[in-house]
Amino acid sequence: MMSSIERAQKQKNSEEQAAALRLKNNRLGMNIFQLSWIMAFVALIVVNWQLRFSYAQWPPAGVAPFDLLLPSVATLALLFSAAAVAQARQALRRGALAAFLAKWRLAIGLGALFMAIIVYEFATVSEAALATQYGGTFRLMTGFHFLHALAILAVMCRVYQQGSQGQYGGGDGAWAVEGSAKLWYFVSFAWLLFYVVIYWIR
Amino acid sequence: MATIAVPLGQQQTRQEVEATPRPALGEYLRWSVDHKIIGVQYGLTALLFFIVGGALAMGIRLELWTPELDLMVSGAAYNSLFTMHGTIMIFLFIIPMWAAYGNYVVPLQLGAKDMAFPWLNAFAFWLIPPAGIVMLLGYFVSPAEAGWTSYPPLSTLFSGDGQTLWALGAHLLGLSSIFGSINFIVTILNMRPPAMTIWRMPLLCWAVLATSIIAVMATPFLAGALTLLLLDRMAGTTFFDAAGGGDVLLWQNIFWFYSHPAVYIMVLPGMGVLSEVLSIHSRKPVFGYRMVGLSSMAIAIVGFTVWAHHMFTSLQPELRIPFMITTMIIAVPTGIKMFSWLGTIWDGKIRFTSAMLFALGFMSMFVIGGITGVMLAALPFDIHVHDTYFVVSHFHFVLFGGSVFAIYAALYHWFPKITGRMMNERLGRIHFIFTYFGFLITFFPMHIVGMLGMPRRVAVYDAAFTDLNRLISFAAFVLGFSTFIVLYNMVRSYYHGPIASANPWRALTLEWATTSPPPPTNFHEDPIPYEDPYGYGTEAATAYIDAIDQAFDRPGGAPAGGH
Repeated sequence: MMSSIERAQKQKNSEEQAAALRLKNNRLGMNIFQLSWIMAFVALIVVNWQLRFSYAQWPPAGVAPFDLLLPSVATLALLFSAAAVAQARQALRRGALAAFLAKWRLAIGLGALFMAIIVYEFATVSEAALATQYGGTFRLMTGFHFLHALAILAVMCRVYQQGSQGQYGGGDGAWAVEGSAKLWYFVSFAWLLFYVVIYWIR
Repeated sequence: MATIAVPLGQQQTRQEVEATPRPALGEYLRWSVDHKIIGVQYGLTALLFFIVGGALAMGIRLELWTPELDLMVSGAAYNSLFTMHGTIMIFLFIIPMWAAYGNYVVPLQLGAKDMAFPWLNAFAFWLIPPAGIVMLLGYFVSPAEAGWTSYPPLSTLFSGDGQTLWALGAHLLGLSSIFGSINFIVTILNMRPPAMTIWRMPLLCWAVLATSIIAVMATPFLAGALTLLLLDRMAGTTFFDAAGGGDVLLWQNIFWFYSHPAVYIMVLPGMGVLSEVLSIHSRKPVFGYRMVGLSSMAIAIVGFTVWAHHMFTSLQPELRIPFMITTMIIAVPTGIKMFSWLGTIWDGKIRFTSAMLFALGFMSMFVIGGITGVMLAALPFDIHVHDTYFVVSHFHFVLFGGSVFAIYAALYHWFPKITGRMMNERLGRIHFIFTYFGFLITFFPMHIVGMLGMPRRVAVYDAAFTDLNRLISFAAFVLGFSTFIVLYNMVRSYYHGPIASANPWRALTLEWATTSPPPPTNFHEDPIPYEDPYGYGTEAATAYIDAIDQAFDRPGGAPAGGH
């Protein structure tokens, strides 16, 4: 017969094992989701690519190319936002909750700036561009990306709220931070692909 | 003699075994995160849609009884009939049906207590009923008429609002497929017992792994295509409208980049089932185990390079030869499987159970579908029979002669584990005979009418084809009738079938090393897998199987389990 101490120890070990397996599963699941869903963005790049060949030149004749300044500022803001997320995670690992919250707040702010600029760009596409697929694919891609950024930014706000209530010490709670951070990296990476395809490849 | 690994600990008492009731039917109607409940939910939902899709097929064959329009009021009504038939059979029957077996069997074969993400698993299932309802509603408002492939401009300029609902439904089903597949991959990679390396994994798990990899990488393209279709239909964009700078071929590219790999989503799990059933019911190890596992992966990878063979008549001519070559190459890993199955049953102690009969039926019919596939891959021949009944025949040999036969084999094989009752073997054999000959006589003559030039997707045809079409329709009705035999057998066996022992087929994989049906946590103790999942015919394997029998079944032959 096992003593009660031994039994309690065994119980604790199996709980720790279960938690470790959960984290391992979460991480692998997130990686697969990232690999999978990036294909939806790749599909839209293929759309953009194939529709270019309907035209003799790109942007089509009579359409001014998009201005680069504001979108580049937005892209930088998004990259800094992703970097702030990475720093916030490091702070949480050190146990520095205040630093975590500050960096996370910064990341949300920069993300919101990115999205504000993209909304402005979406709303101010010229009529000439919209009459062609140059404007059509632009709105398709930025709109599709915007919806993802919006959803994940909302998750990040929720994480911030829970973090400011001191819910993240480690273990499962930290998965909410890790998961939303990885989704935000995903959004940043997807935007980099779009940024290059929309603005730089002519 | 090798040391014998006994699958269970000593704590497995008879009381525990007998205390495993099967779930009440009401549990299948509720939200549940138990993979076994979810598996059955998938299965029953898919079966329901199989009946609906089958009824539509009967409608198609009734219309084609005569060369004129008679059953349908117009060609458009016929268009929506075959559109719904194809869509339901692919998206709502075959794909969810494999999710059913995958969900029920894979965690058990891995000795796991559940899937990696139980909640996500339930969520993925519960996306399917609303998606199916949305699609069916479309049929009653203003049906989609563009075929299951929904090519624009048919799907943008001609179809009614049902096409929008079709796209919404397909979108939900795609999401469900992605969530389900992420779950399968993580479960298979992370949750095997320590003694089970990836090279000792049952071949159904290999097949589900390969299928899931295809699904996660390809389905987002379907999401992209459907998003564009919805925007064109609802938001006034012109992605598929040449007048607005769009391109109809865009749909074909994006859609087939998903839908060709989806063909392998529909048949790879069936190939996994075949490796299980043929080995167990002929008491022989799988011939060339590693090559079978790797050929699933090869099919998954090469499957991404062949999509444009669906576009031979619309593609830039210089791209046709490369796609013709890749398409022919994919016959190689498929051929490896065929040789493995032949090698497995060769000189085996074959038991002609219903499961085995359907597995053998798969082998004979799928090889015909495979050969016509290579014929269609050959460009000159494909252009000759493009959009004729030859193509219809080809893909039904693959999807019915392949997938559906494997679904039946899997049903007879795992029904005892799922319900705790054996199915009636005599009815199973009768079902097989009706299905096999009904199927063969329905679809084989389609090769001939196709070669003679009868186009697909039309309700009226040249009167010269009447006799062959009557033969096809008659056989199709026999095939339709055969479904009722298996439905009756399922219901009757569920209530009155002989009680199944834990391991009625004397198999070595872990789903049989627990009661039938398994308890909610699957195993009372962590099971120890046998060193080779298909190592039949050795003393050690016999001892392992005997140990399972002794652990779960009462002495004197009357097994435990069931009610």
